Amino acid sequence: MKKLILHIVIVICLFFAFDRTFGLGLRYLYRISNTTDEYKISYSNESTFDSLLFLGSSRCLHHYVPSVFEKELGTTCFNAADWGIKNIYYHYGLLGNILSRYTPKEIVFEVHPCDFLDTPYSGTERAGSLAPFCGMSDTCDEMLKITGKYWPYRLSMVYRYTGTLPSLLTGKLGSMDRHLKGWKPLDGILDTTGLVAEEYPFPIKQEKVDLLERFIRDCQQRSIRLSIIVSPMYICTKEDVYKIPRELAFKHQIPFIDHFRDSTFVGHPELFYDFGHLNRKGAIIYSEIISKELKR
Amino acid sequence: MVVNSLTFLWFFLFVLAIYYACQSKKELQNVFLLASSYWFYAQVDVMMAGLLAFLTITFWLLGKGVNHFLNKEDERKAAIITNVGVVIGIGALFYFKYLNFFAESIVSLISPFGVHLSWTTLNLVVPIGLSFFTFKLMSYVLDIYHGKIQQEKNIVSFANFIAFFPTILSGPIDRPKPFLKQVNQARLFNPDNFLIGFRRILWGMFLKMCIADRLDIYISAIWNNYEHHSAISIIFASLLYPFHMYADFAGYSEMAIGVALILGFKVAENFKRPFFVIDIAGYWSRWHMSLTSWLTDYVFLPLNIKFRKLGINGTIMAIMLNMTFIGMWHGANWTFLLFGIYHGLWYIPLMVNGQFFKKRKIELNAKGWPTPPYAFKMAGIYLVVTFGLMLFHSADMTEFFNVWGSIFSHWNGGLFTDMNTMVNAAICSLALIYVDIQEEWFPKKKLYLPTWAERWRWELTVAVEIVCILMFGVFDNNQFIYFQF
Repeated sequence: MKKLILHIVIVICLFFAFDRTFGLGLRYLYRISNTTDEYKISYSNESTFDSLLFLGSSRCLHHYVPSVFEKELGTTCFNAADWGIKNIYYHYGLLGNILSRYTPKEIVFEVHPCDFLDTPYSGTERAGSLAPFCGMSDTCDEMLKITGKYWPYRLSMVYRYTGTLPSLLTGKLGSMDRHLKGWKPLDGILDTTGLVAEEYPFPIKQEKVDLLERFIRDCQQRSIRLSIIVSPMYICTKEDVYKIPRELAFKHQIPFIDHFRDSTFVGHPELFYDFGHLNRKGAIIYSEIISKELKR
Repeated sequence: MVVNSLTFLWFFLFVLAIYYACQSKKELQNVFLLASSYWFYAQVDVMMAGLLAFLTITFWLLGKGVNHFLNKEDERKAAIITNVGVVIGIGALFYFKYLNFFAESIVSLISPFGVHLSWTTLNLVVPIGLSFFTFKLMSYVLDIYHGKIQQEKNIVSFANFIAFFPTILSGPIDRPKPFLKQVNQARLFNPDNFLIGFRRILWGMFLKMCIADRLDIYISAIWNNYEHHSAISIIFASLLYPFHMYADFAGYSEMAIGVALILGFKVAENFKRPFFVIDIAGYWSRWHMSLTSWLTDYVFLPLNIKFRKLGINGTIMAIMLNMTFIGMWHGANWTFLLFGIYHGLWYIPLMVNGQFFKKRKIELNAKGWPTPPYAFKMAGIYLVVTFGLMLFHSADMTEFFNVWGSIFSHWNGGLFTDMNTMVNAAICSLALIYVDIQEEWFPKKKLYLPTWAERWRWELTVAVEIVCILMFGVFDNNQFIYFQF
């Protein structure tokens, strides 16, 4: 029995030695990655310094052109949004990491139904993308705890990067166009055949709503000018999808900029890449409109 | 409760602690093991745990009856009771798995002849692991009848054989004799069993989480939307599927065997490098071995004896029926039926050439590697298996034909690439191929370690395996493919 315990103790020691060694290697690769999503997430969490930040999911990522805002507002701007139906669990953790480093002057948050509805395709697991930043801020750790994987992430550095080795190894092969400052343009025109409006027949998730409210409060406590925004869709559902964030914005006296049914865009396939995402041309036109609104 | 989940780990550690705490009292240990097995099974379905208990008691009594009449030398009554057991076992399988399929098939087959019957599909929930534990139940009465074992007097021991939690959901399908012998012996904690068992659990997790679940991401992306994918992508995904199945099922089997070993039981092996063969008989002698050996003993050999007057035709009939049973064992679907028949057909050339009962060895060159003609034959068998598994993977025959329709009509377009998934899966698959090659052709050659490290081989291997699982694994608690059978 003593021998067995010795075996187990040695395994534990070796495991931690290997885990820390490989984990540090993976962390290094993650941070120096140039081409992949890892670069974007890493930069958003650890390196932004800009006065104006855009946060949100894929619609935010493709719709807000930082160079347009920089020109119009005369400030530095970065689009810190990420694709993959990210939701408030991720956005709030990211906000925590950003605020642990510096306080931006202004944040524009593109809200999506996934940020307050109990959607089956976007739950707590989305915060898993914050795993490499475990321990960076209390908010980030809190979000990771909600995923139920905080302690595994804490115990194993390698686990924080699970499945990412190939993209990390190739992460230095090319280079992302950094002049775009986080914006990811989409080139192409929408094929309108068979399109129907996206419906959201899901109940409200109170945990998400509470986090959305905490997101607003945290910004207000740090005197950050926060705007909640909804960008246009090619085809819109008739229901009032954004009632919850609108009420929250009203409650906390912050701007709610609603372009969901903006006639400049709705029904104009030449401005869209798919029914929910503007193409390059649409994004530039939209950003010009929003930059003027923010200026006011 | 998925075997490769944290929940199972906590459950297993709890069971292990109490199980060996009462190791001095064998009866208590068995009662606790049985309670743990039923608790584990009830996590899947409480009602079905009731059915399991009912069938267990029934077969225990039947075994008692068979033994009783054999002792009285009344073989006729013993045979009747044995047949009752077989009918109950097959009846349970038929009722839960095949009734709807047969009824619906009959209704649709006779409707063109103007006979219109109606059948309301019964909403039956198939008990998890039914195909596995009914085979164990039947083999118990059959083995008593054939004099291979005596009736098990202790119902707790017998119930442990049926409900043993590491194997109840997806096998391996154990035989009564070795298991009952072990369950009736005192099982003291054995550190060596722990070390070997733990490594097998880790290896199983590696196969499942790093290979099977990674490949599943790629294969599902194509198979679930085959109409939108090119021929090359569908063919590539289909070629990966046998390997995916192997990693998934062998992964489960390794974990089950490892868990059983830590509990002091040696259960049947299920896989032995099934793709390193040059004919279909070789493949089935190494794939899902506990099922194929069960069917060989209880279906093929009796049928072969029955048909022996017909010579080679009798053997062909026996093997075709046996393979059809293998196909249908997986479920009530025309795809499974044809899967079995398809494999049966590949046996015919072997029988005609008189190679069926010969164990054909792979010719190796001076360096110990297979010679090119044999390497081609192995590749050929892999292709044969791939086609069969395309049937297996299809939800129904329509999907199977549609997939082939897509292959023939979508020649334009390149290979669907998901670089991250593919590279992750490739790295781990190479590790599995390396290990299999070593075990198959270079069993004495160990991976070189410096002298100082040799002393810590077990520890180093385990630590590296854990790190690899964490680095390459998919942690979505995906269920095992064979869980559904």
